[in-house]
Amino acid sequence: MIAAALSGLMLTTLAAGALLAVLNARRWLAGQAASVDLVGGLLALPQRYLGDVHHVVARKPYNALFHALVAGGFLASLPLILLAALPALRGWLLWTALALCLAVMLAGALMVGWRRGVARPSELSGGGFARLPFALLAYAVCLLIVAVDQLAGEALPQTISLTLVAIGALAAADLILGVGRGPLKHALNGALHLIAHPRPARFHHGTRDTAIRALDLTGQKLGTERPVDFAWNRLLGFDACVQCGRCETVCPAYAAELPLNPKKIIQDIAAALDPAATDRAYAGHHHPGRSPGEAHGGRLLPLVGAGAMIHPDTLWSCTTCRACVEECPMMIEHVDAVIDLRRFETLERGATPGKAALALEELRAADNPSGRPASQRIEWAADLALPLIADRGECDILLWLGDAAFDMRGQRSLRALIELLRRAGVDFAVLGADELDCGDLARRLGDEATFQDFARRNIALLGRYRFNRILTNDPHVLHVLRKEYPSFGGRYTVVHHTALLLELIEAGRLAPRGSGRSVTFHDPCYLGRYNGEIEAPRRLLDALGLERIEMERSGLRSSCCGGGGGAPLTDVAGKKRIPDIRMDHARATGAERVAVGCPNCTIMLEGVTGKRPAVADIAELMLEAVA
Amino acid sequence: MTGKRRDPRAERQARLIAGGERKRFALGAVPQPAGRPRRDPRSLRRAATVPGGVRPRIDWHGGARMAARPGPDARPQSQPEIRITADPAFLVLAVADHPGGALSEHDRETIGAARSLADAGGGAVAVLTSGTVEGLAEAGADRVLSVPAGHIGDYDPEARTAAVLAAIDLLKPRHVLFPESAEGGADLARRVAALSGERLFGGVASLSADAASRRMRGGAMEMAAAPPRLMSIAENAFAAHDGVRHEARALDAPAFAPVRRIGTVTPLAIEAGTLSLADADFILSGGNGVTDWAAFAELGRVLGATLGGSRVVCDEGHLPRDRQVGASGSLVTARCYLAFGIAGAPQHLQGITEVRHVVAINTDLHAEMIKRADLAIIADAQAVMPALVAHAKERRDA
Amino acid sequence: MPSVAVLLSVGRHPASGRARRAPLDARALEMAFSLPNAAVHAIHAGNPDEPALRDYLGMGMERLTVLSIPRDGDPVPALTAHLEQLSPDMVLCGSRAEGGEDSGMVPYLIAHALGYAMVADIAAVSASAATATLTQALPRGRRRLIETGLPVVATVNTAAPAPRQSSFGRARRGVIDILAADAPPDTLADQCEIRPWRPRPKRMRLAAAASAADRLKAMTETRSGEGAVMIQPSPEEAARAIYAYLVEKRIIGDGS
Repeated sequence: MIAAALSGLMLTTLAAGALLAVLNARRWLAGQAASVDLVGGLLALPQRYLGDVHHVVARKPYNALFHALVAGGFLASLPLILLAALPALRGWLLWTALALCLAVMLAGALMVGWRRGVARPSELSGGGFARLPFALLAYAVCLLIVAVDQLAGEALPQTISLTLVAIGALAAADLILGVGRGPLKHALNGALHLIAHPRPARFHHGTRDTAIRALDLTGQKLGTERPVDFAWNRLLGFDACVQCGRCETVCPAYAAELPLNPKKIIQDIAAALDPAATDRAYAGHHHPGRSPGEAHGGRLLPLVGAGAMIHPDTLWSCTTCRACVEECPMMIEHVDAVIDLRRFETLERGATPGKAALALEELRAADNPSGRPASQRIEWAADLALPLIADRGECDILLWLGDAAFDMRGQRSLRALIELLRRAGVDFAVLGADELDCGDLARRLGDEATFQDFARRNIALLGRYRFNRILTNDPHVLHVLRKEYPSFGGRYTVVHHTALLLELIEAGRLAPRGSGRSVTFHDPCYLGRYNGEIEAPRRLLDALGLERIEMERSGLRSSCCGGGGGAPLTDVAGKKRIPDIRMDHARATGAERVAVGCPNCTIMLEGVTGKRPAVADIAELMLEAVA
Repeated sequence: MTGKRRDPRAERQARLIAGGERKRFALGAVPQPAGRPRRDPRSLRRAATVPGGVRPRIDWHGGARMAARPGPDARPQSQPEIRITADPAFLVLAVADHPGGALSEHDRETIGAARSLADAGGGAVAVLTSGTVEGLAEAGADRVLSVPAGHIGDYDPEARTAAVLAAIDLLKPRHVLFPESAEGGADLARRVAALSGERLFGGVASLSADAASRRMRGGAMEMAAAPPRLMSIAENAFAAHDGVRHEARALDAPAFAPVRRIGTVTPLAIEAGTLSLADADFILSGGNGVTDWAAFAELGRVLGATLGGSRVVCDEGHLPRDRQVGASGSLVTARCYLAFGIAGAPQHLQGITEVRHVVAINTDLHAEMIKRADLAIIADAQAVMPALVAHAKERRDA
Repeated sequence: MPSVAVLLSVGRHPASGRARRAPLDARALEMAFSLPNAAVHAIHAGNPDEPALRDYLGMGMERLTVLSIPRDGDPVPALTAHLEQLSPDMVLCGSRAEGGEDSGMVPYLIAHALGYAMVADIAAVSASAATATLTQALPRGRRRLIETGLPVVATVNTAAPAPRQSSFGRARRGVIDILAADAPPDTLADQCEIRPWRPRPKRMRLAAAASAADRLKAMTETRSGEGAVMIQPSPEEAARAIYAYLVEKRIIGDGS
């Protein structure tokens, strides 16, 4: 009788849950069609979940443990309870198994309770999530008692047992019906998202699938205006967000109190799938400086606007550093969403803010963001007599000068690199005045038309010459040439200067002498997170005989300097400055100098006022060591 | 060009000190003989050689020649010489802007350009003004045509156009030159050209009796032709007339009747606070050393200065981004830059290279800004601001 | 509902020499957009196939009229004829083009030919049924308010609000209406020698220095201050010194 009541209630709840899940699915299914390999995704699900997701979750071992206990115990308890519907199976084996599952779950639920009730990390959301530990505990405790009682031959009075079943079933209903709006939504949507992920290649190990997807410029509407303009599997991803707040804790814009919280931006899009949507139900940290209730939207309404779900300042605060994507256990692609929304703002509305619009105009008219004569890209190096590939037709290494060549600080780094290449006897040449902007800035600002124009013209230009590799000291150039030009037919071996310099040392062509001075390395986002190159610069610094001290955040989990994604041009005001925060990390190491491998990072970090470690490009440090 | 021979007698005579019974000669300073001295290339070269440096450097600029060959101008002039062109071969008419009733530097340059055209062929320069304008003789005007100021207010381009056309009719000048200026000259030149049906050669950057050239295609190309009748003169392209006064004889102004289409004109008070930095004439700028931004804004109001700031203060939101001075903000051209608590990063100093007067208040004697300043005050910016507000108010009320 | 014609030219980027929207004409178009309820007619005389014209469409106009004239034709007769037919209340354009002769004459010739009032260098505009109120920008931030009857031709200068961004999507969708027009060839260019601009040495105000060395020094040295330094004065002394300096240099008028 107790068992029948239990399994009957559970069956009803599960059926209701399934119905709710279907209703909820209609929200994200309203998105655009996408070509998805569902079978492949389904087959890959265990690997994606146990490998990729666990890899992220396990960065917080406590969370990984309670998650395994709660989810494992709960999911295992469900079929056991359903099985209890069959009288033939109601035996000690079933009840023992159920009791074990629930005991495991109870342990996990206590950990959840401790985390939410005692530790209370501030990045967690409240609201429906606040009830979670109670529902988990009620379910585990009540049903555990019932199971043990069944094992013990129904020692408890039936009214008590029935009450326990009722409480347990209520808790189960709270949990399971949460697939619609509550915390458990992430379990179902998360699994579906893993199956239908918009970037399945990110699960192939050894590749970092970080290239922005090309946009068809002949399309009716360019970029994403409304929620339904996203593909359905991307909406599914946003709807899978569990609001754990890991993205929030690593976001440089959020840390500097720019009006951007990556968790909230995903919630804004997910909430906008409802009719007459607002952000009132959201119970986490807001975009700094903005208050709840200001946002209004709907699935057919524009997402970005002064009173819309996402304020333009929020959209343009992003530095595209991918720290949020790197941290997200649900494998959500925040940066892709930002770029798609920016594309609509720039390509259709012409609403790129600040000096960014001006930079785009100059890029179109003069091939560089500050509108300088092309010859200035190389004039500063007149004394170096750089070999031009146009004169020679071929070379081993094609040195891409990049936009740093227009900047006096950038020229210093380039000089150091060129001097090293000369000393090592590298056969190199430059494009010189023929070189165009690589298009990185235009693409991150959403100007896909200008980016594609640059990509095509640069590929045509590079096609005229023969070279083995392209060398650059700018990770943005590296990323675009290496990963984003292939969709336009340009396939090149692109090497960052830190990798090449290391190669030269290992080949014995340069022999640095150690100085023993201390240094800390700031990983450029586009080198580390976008391209996974975190080892070469470190080995190079070690080879230079420098004492290397790591910052609190380094490698793939490094923190941005604030210079990416056109953020210095869109110039959204925050309470603090992103580079100041990064410099604080560097100061905390006590290192004499900050080594950088990106001209943008150099500029951002050198712009920090007050007492601070000196900033030097790795090439400059190396030139010191070989001098 | 042969110089005058040396005349020992005359030299001796020149040394004679007048008065006294006996003849006395001053053997020290030798008064320069009158007339053209003998040319001595070697001493000229010596005078033009710039001392110091590894490579010999010769500066043939006027100064050297002047030093070696002092003309009548070099002597203190008790009675300034006036050059009179009584019967000119032709006239060059220069139309002056004279904003606020005084010749502008651009006006002087325009008259200077007119002078060079006139001097090349025995012509004379006539200047058209409205109302009385000082300094025309020094600027090089042979004739002055002054339209009564009552006719033409501060801004009445239609009347001025009619006046210029009447003057052209009267004087039949070979050339008419306008300053290519935003003070009205550029506008006037085009109105005259449109009404007279003649082509204007606008923004002339080089000019001789045979050729005038102006930039075109956004400045990438230049077009050159024989100087046409109507020309406007680019700023900073010509030297103002410098030297001998000209006659500046007043002529009778012609009568004229403008066609009026423009209605009422009201000058607006400059609101220094709302001016863009690029436009501002007087900038009060704040940096890290300023903490009380209300007092800073108050000081700006009291002095009538446009507010600006360093990158750091704009980053911190004390001032909006469009108030940032420097390489990544605005490059300013103000006459005066009053910097409170700014250390003077290179990027910041790049923004104020065009500023004429810099006043800096900073606690650090070795700050770059202090080096750049014309008046530097080593003090706490925070303490000086209220004192300056109080002092300025006191002086205003006095 | 005022009818505003905006004359647009093709600009030329100073560094790259590539065609682009002319910044001042774009400002004129922006100004026309700022007039409430204005019917804006954008007109270009030149080559209708010039891609840079799309930059103007990208600012949010659905149509742009191009009077198709040969490359070296004089645009004024064609523009005048078209405007006569259109009879707008206001004609706006940039105060100077940057791609051709750059004489700045076109608005004056049109105003003269049509008998319109002409006002140069405006920074802002508002219009009522019969009059326009124009804010004229002068150097150093000075402004004057000019009220004039309609129709009026006005040129827009750099003090006017910056033009909005041109967007790729709108530029792609905009329509260019091509009207054939006659243009007599402009013969002035034939009479002139056209050559690349050669930068001339900048004329410097001569320092009245006695020796060549001093002059060289004055011209080549980076400008540094006169160097009057007061060290740790009292705030009042400092205030007096600053005030006196500002008065001396005529930056501020002395109240007394």
